[in-house]
Amino acid sequence: MDILIPFQIALSMLASGDVELMRIIGLSLTVSLTAVLASLVIGLPMGALLATYRFPGRTALIVVSNTFLGMPPVVIGLVIYLLISRSGPLGFMGILYTPAAMMLAQTVLVLPLSIALSRQAFESLNGEYAPLFQSLGLGRFDRVRALVFEARVALLTIGLACFGRAISEVGAVMIVGGNIRHSTRVMTTSIALATSMGELAFAMALGLVLLLVALTINIVSQLMRHSFRNLGHDV
Amino acid sequence: MTSERPAPDIIMTARDLTLRRDGVTLLDSVSAKIRHGSITLLLGHNGAGKTLLLNCLHGLIGCDAGTITGPPLARQKMVFQKPIITRRTTGDHLRFLCPKLDNATIHEWLRRAEMDRRANAPARMLSGGEQQKLALIGALAARPDILFLDEPTAHLDFAATRFVETMVRQAHEDGMTIVMTSHNRTQAERLGEDVILLDSGRIVETAPADRFFSTPSHPLAKQYLAHL
Repeated sequence: MDILIPFQIALSMLASGDVELMRIIGLSLTVSLTAVLASLVIGLPMGALLATYRFPGRTALIVVSNTFLGMPPVVIGLVIYLLISRSGPLGFMGILYTPAAMMLAQTVLVLPLSIALSRQAFESLNGEYAPLFQSLGLGRFDRVRALVFEARVALLTIGLACFGRAISEVGAVMIVGGNIRHSTRVMTTSIALATSMGELAFAMALGLVLLLVALTINIVSQLMRHSFRNLGHDV
Repeated sequence: MTSERPAPDIIMTARDLTLRRDGVTLLDSVSAKIRHGSITLLLGHNGAGKTLLLNCLHGLIGCDAGTITGPPLARQKMVFQKPIITRRTTGDHLRFLCPKLDNATIHEWLRRAEMDRRANAPARMLSGGEQQKLALIGALAARPDILFLDEPTAHLDFAATRFVETMVRQAHEDGMTIVMTSHNRTQAERLGEDVILLDSGRIVETAPADRFFSTPSHPLAKQYLAHL
C-alpha cells in the first residue's frame, strides 16, 4: 500500500501547482518542442528531397539517417558533449550544460525519425502526384512545397511521434545538460535523480505528467486523423 | 521538346518516336502531325500505345529515340484518365491547377461545371464524374494551346459525358488544339477531325475522321472498326 502514498502526494503537488514541478515541466516542454520544431524544419524538406529526387550520395544519406534511428541517446549525448565541450570544435559557443545544448541533443536525436517518416510519407504521395506535378511544370521547390502541404496530416502525426521521442529521452540531455537544478533539470532527468534520492512522490508526479503527455499525444493524433478524414483530406 | 513550330497549320510534330522498356518496344518509330486547332483522336485496342504516345507528346515520358516539336509545356495541359486530385477543397484544387485565376473566375468555371455549390467540399470526396469535370475545367481554365485528354469520359455517366464533350467542343471552337484517346466509337465520330490508329506501338493509319470511319484503308483499321 506504500506505493499509494507517493501517488497521493504526487497528485496533490500537481493540483497545487508546485513551483519546482512546474518549472521542470515548463523547461521539458520548451526544450522538446524547440527540438521537434528544429528537426521538422530540417527533416521534412530532407525527407521530401530524398523521396522525390535521385542525386549522388542519396543512398548514403538514407543509410546514415537510418543508422541514427537506432543510435542510443547516450551515444548521441556523448558525441554532442565532445562537440560542444570547451575543447571541442563547437566549444566556442559555450552552450554546454545549458538548455540550448539539450535542444541540440534532442534535435539530433529526433532528426533521423523526422527524415525517415517524412520520406516514407512523401514517397507514397510523390508516386501519386508526380505525373500531375510534371504536367503542371512545377519546379523542385514548388514540388516539395506542394508535397509538404499534401502530406500535412501525416506530417502532424510525424511531429507528434518526434515529440514523444524527445520528451521521453533521458540519456543525452543528462550528459549535455548536467541535470542542474533550476537550470537544466527536465522531467526525465529529475525522475532519475529523485528516484535515486528516495523522493518517490516527486518522481511519481513527474512520471504522471509524462504519462499524461503521452496520452495527450495519442488523443490529439487520433482526433486530428479523425477530423481530417471527415473533411476528406486524409482519404 | 522545343517551342519550334514546324509549319503554320501544324502545332505539334512527332518524328520516329521509339520507346523501349525491358527489351519490349512499346512505341515503334511513331511519326505524327497534329494540326493547329484540330481534334485528333488516338484510337487503338488496349495496349496499343495510345496513353504512352499521349504521355510522350506531353513530355511526361522521355522516348529512347525521336523528336517532338510543339508548344512549350507551359502552353500544354493534360487530363488524366484517372484524375489526380489534391487533398484540398474543390475551389483550392482548381486554384492549384491554375494559380493565376482570381476567385471570380474560379467561381465562374465551377458554375459552368455545375459545381459551384461544392466549392468548399473536399475535392477527393467528389464523385468520379465530378472529379473528372474538375480536372477538365482545371485544364481548360488555363487556356492552353494544346490539350491532351486520356479517355476523358471513361467510367462517366451520360450527363457527365455530355458535359465533357460540350466543353471539348467549345474549347475547339475557341481555337484550342485537342488530342484525345477514346474507346467510344460514337464519341470518336462525334468529336474527331483527325484519327491516328495505333496497333502494338505502331501507327497503322492516319486519316481524316470521316474517311477513317467510312472507308478505312488498312486491314487492321477495318478489323478494329468491326470490333469497336
